[in-house]
Amino acid sequence: MNREKIISVKTCLGFISFLIALLMPHIFGVSQYLLTVLIIMLVFILYSSAWNLLALSGQGSLGHAAFFGIGGYTSAIVVKSLGLPPLATILAGGIFAAFIGVLIGLTCVRLKEWFLAMVTFGFAVLAHTITLELPGLTGGWDGLPVQKVIPVTVHNYIMYEYYLVLITTVIVLFVIYQIMNSKVGLAFEAIRENELEANVMGINVMKYKLTAFAVSAFFSGIAGALEIHHFGYITPEVYGIDISFWPIIYCVSGGLCTIEGPILGTIIITLLDESLKNFGWTYERYIMIGLILILIVRFLPKGFVSVPEKIKAYLRS
Amino acid sequence: MDISIFIQILVWGLYAGCIYILLAIGLNLIFGVMKVVNFAHGELLMIGAYVTFWLYSSSGINPYLVVPISTFIMAILGILIERFGFRPIRGTGKLNEIFLSLGLIYLLQNSAALLWTTNSRTIHSPYSDILVPLGTIKLPLDYIIIIIATILFLIAFQLFMKKTTIGRAMRATSQNREAAALMGINVERIDMLSFALGSALAAVAGSLWLISGQMVNPYVGSLPAIKAFAVIIIGGLGSIPGAIIAGLILGIAENVVPVIIQSLVAVFNVEMSFTAWKDTIAFLILIIVLILRPTGLFGKKGE
Amino acid sequence: MRKHAILATVLVVIALFACGVAQSEETEQQGVGEIRIGVVAPLTGGASTTGNDMWQSAVLSAEEINANGGVNVSGVNMNITLVKGDTETSREGGVKAVTKLITVDNVDILVGGFSSGITYADQVVAAEHKVPFIITGASSPIITRRDDIDTNYFFHHCPTTDDYPDSTLLFVDDVVKPEIYERFNFSEDRPLRLAVLYQDSKYGEGVYDGIKKVIEKHNLNMDIVAAEKFKMSETDFRTVLTTIKASNPDVLYPAAFLNEQTLIVAQGRRDVGLNNIYLSVECNDDPDYYSGVENWGEYSIQESRFGPYAVPSGDIHDAVVKFRDDFEDKWGTSPSMMGASTYEGVYIAAKAIEDAGNLDKSNIRASLAALEMPQIIEVMQNGVIAFSPDYRESKFELYMQQLISNETLDETRPKIVWPESVKETDFVLPDWYEPGSKAEEQTPAAPTPKGPGFEAVVAIASLFAIAYLVLRRSK
Repeated sequence: MNREKIISVKTCLGFISFLIALLMPHIFGVSQYLLTVLIIMLVFILYSSAWNLLALSGQGSLGHAAFFGIGGYTSAIVVKSLGLPPLATILAGGIFAAFIGVLIGLTCVRLKEWFLAMVTFGFAVLAHTITLELPGLTGGWDGLPVQKVIPVTVHNYIMYEYYLVLITTVIVLFVIYQIMNSKVGLAFEAIRENELEANVMGINVMKYKLTAFAVSAFFSGIAGALEIHHFGYITPEVYGIDISFWPIIYCVSGGLCTIEGPILGTIIITLLDESLKNFGWTYERYIMIGLILILIVRFLPKGFVSVPEKIKAYLRS
Repeated sequence: MDISIFIQILVWGLYAGCIYILLAIGLNLIFGVMKVVNFAHGELLMIGAYVTFWLYSSSGINPYLVVPISTFIMAILGILIERFGFRPIRGTGKLNEIFLSLGLIYLLQNSAALLWTTNSRTIHSPYSDILVPLGTIKLPLDYIIIIIATILFLIAFQLFMKKTTIGRAMRATSQNREAAALMGINVERIDMLSFALGSALAAVAGSLWLISGQMVNPYVGSLPAIKAFAVIIIGGLGSIPGAIIAGLILGIAENVVPVIIQSLVAVFNVEMSFTAWKDTIAFLILIIVLILRPTGLFGKKGE
Repeated sequence: MRKHAILATVLVVIALFACGVAQSEETEQQGVGEIRIGVVAPLTGGASTTGNDMWQSAVLSAEEINANGGVNVSGVNMNITLVKGDTETSREGGVKAVTKLITVDNVDILVGGFSSGITYADQVVAAEHKVPFIITGASSPIITRRDDIDTNYFFHHCPTTDDYPDSTLLFVDDVVKPEIYERFNFSEDRPLRLAVLYQDSKYGEGVYDGIKKVIEKHNLNMDIVAAEKFKMSETDFRTVLTTIKASNPDVLYPAAFLNEQTLIVAQGRRDVGLNNIYLSVECNDDPDYYSGVENWGEYSIQESRFGPYAVPSGDIHDAVVKFRDDFEDKWGTSPSMMGASTYEGVYIAAKAIEDAGNLDKSNIRASLAALEMPQIIEVMQNGVIAFSPDYRESKFELYMQQLISNETLDETRPKIVWPESVKETDFVLPDWYEPGSKAEEQTPAAPTPKGPGFEAVVAIASLFAIAYLVLRRSK
């Protein structure tokens, strides 16, 4: 089986799943519950893919909630003070998150591995504290009411919201895919494999690392803004540790540094979580998630996306 | 500000510092020998405290006497984590270690919640009514025990590392793993021992913390662990004296700095409370140190 | 081969997905002659203990109502069916749960809602569909006051952070202050020195704001001499309590959760030696508090509306005891105060539907707004449950308890000391109580710089010395 054929299979599959996603409201009718679940799932696919992009350049962040929250808050504040439509401000959220991302990236650029993990974690705590200390702007602990992307008065507004989030996600995924397969993506990979060698080969390590930070923060900010404009309210809970950890769990279980990994990871883990919930499991559910994470790191380091390969290897042997 | 109040606050900082030091040294030892970072180290503190609570409440004897038993149990748990968690993924990349410890955090926290529920647990120390007068301040006996115990542990630890064969082997392994292996040191056994020792120190920290009138619930581990990371980063990776000094600095700074800032801004007639900034101050120190000196205050170059 | 494998995975994923969807669609259609009440509570996640308590209390009241023939809706007797809405203690979960209750389960009315942060997010969905929501577990007054959505369908049956300080400070002014002033011969115009130690959160800040409002509203002769914050789930309060002690307060008012309150009282009395009267916010009346605080909590004050030990005297006494016994029989644990208001919430919903005469949501809303029913198991102002016309809040009569040590249990137990109508015993000012003197009166012989804490300085210095030696040797 040659390489082109595999790619075409993958593309086919991507296209089919996109079609299914597109037809979702028509297959099952406009169910607000189903679409809400899907919107949240899509937002997290977008957010995890953004995290994944940073991981592609060899930088693992434990504090991505900082960008998620900054994106949300920026968009909420711009809507409130300038009266722009949320569609435009979502972009503003992303841009400001990217700006902060570059600042954080500048302090982190010399740090690696778990130094970086610690410092990014610290920045999420810092973002939380600063948000609380500016109650005039952010509403402090009470948070801010936020305009919805599509006004509730529009008939079937949830369907339009779903399509909006879906299209945004697909566009972002496409952009990330292009980045991954471009010179920039190759440079990221080179840096991840060996920073010193990359430097020797003439890659401007600092520039590319900052680019990764900026782009990843930009998309995370967009994800955050989308989520809060869907909820209609923002509180400092967006900086929660969970919000920082979920994308890691999704990416690692799905498959790090691949385009389909975060998508697959988010869908599978969310479904698993929802179905375990139906058993009435509480802590057991998180124990399972912890175990899955450990087992995947140990036995399936390339995540769920490598399952077909594993099966194939098994069948061949 | 009244000097005795200041001294009292200094003592609270010293007490907090002792816990950070015990935790940080264990973490540092594991890093030095294995070059892996266990982000779930705080969860070991939490489980250690729970085990002490469990032994204490089922036996009812003096809680200080059950600490050695729970320390031993935790050392075994540490060995299991090393053997089945970190050893198999050695050398597959630093990110994998972070992910593995993330999984461990979820696993340990929720197992504790399942076993002991999320209600906070306390231990009634037999000495909790005894106050020792020191000048104008009065200190509960438990704190004095903790401070002395920490100092004794540090001395014993130092002697262990310097005088015993195993301690020397540990130091050799952390200096150069390959060379140590060539010299006939069983590095995998050293890995296991250092993980056991690190977990045991976390258990001691957790138990002493609980007995001194703190509470344990499944989520108490994360914050001290984060502080311990800050301590070993500030002190320099792999440097034990660095960890001691950084632990003291952090413990005292996070208690004293908010009070100082508060009295400073009070001069300008600004009434503001900074006591909730404790954790943020720890991170600020961490970030500043890392920007100015990425290897920490006492770290070796090129680490 | 590979193609097949990939296809297989995809098929599995799609199948799983379809299952998840099918599960959500599977809920039975609404039966005739049935009232569907959605219970919004954190059944999993960080607040699951409280959430399950709310659910269990709701089940108890629904069973009671059904056993008594259900709800009479225009001559037809209808039974109540409860539907679970698990918020998972997160915003995402809350929005999902409320959306499902309204759009898939077609509930007629919602009861519950714990944690203001989560309720802010999920109430948006209820407002959009104009479903009446009786909120029984969120303490922020903003829930019925925000103006970005239509809040007309929200009814707040739970005291807010504005209500907490009201009873507490009136009690302090009414009972505690005269006792202190009499014993220490203070003049009447000396303001009471109040220190506030509040959680750095919506809840803590709400209480602190409430305290300031109450002092102004009732024109109380009190000074806030210290106002300190702490981070949520903080465990070490020694430093902040030391600073508070330096400001010489008469009374300390912590706005904290159970775990924090326990540590504040124990560390304050034991480690810092702050021998004040400690007040408390209502949510801490819980068995864990009494076992955790040991005897350090003796004589401290607690605000409550429903608790495990003390029962208000008067008409309501028997109803409270019955609820507590029934709950313990059915579930084997004791109910909490969030459970009590949720239990009442289901009764309120039933009464409103009965008054409305049909299941039309705007009619239910209208009858809730006009509702007036006798108090059930919590003491209400004037003995009736009624929602205020402006912000649709029911008004509770919060009572004050004092912790009295119980020799046989080696723990403290609460006794109601205020107000007159429900009290069990009188307030006692303990012997060890020390008032905060005025700054001028204080200045005793200034401590010599060498004397105080000299030993402590030596101890710290020697520790540094040891550290230094260790450091030098390892080089």
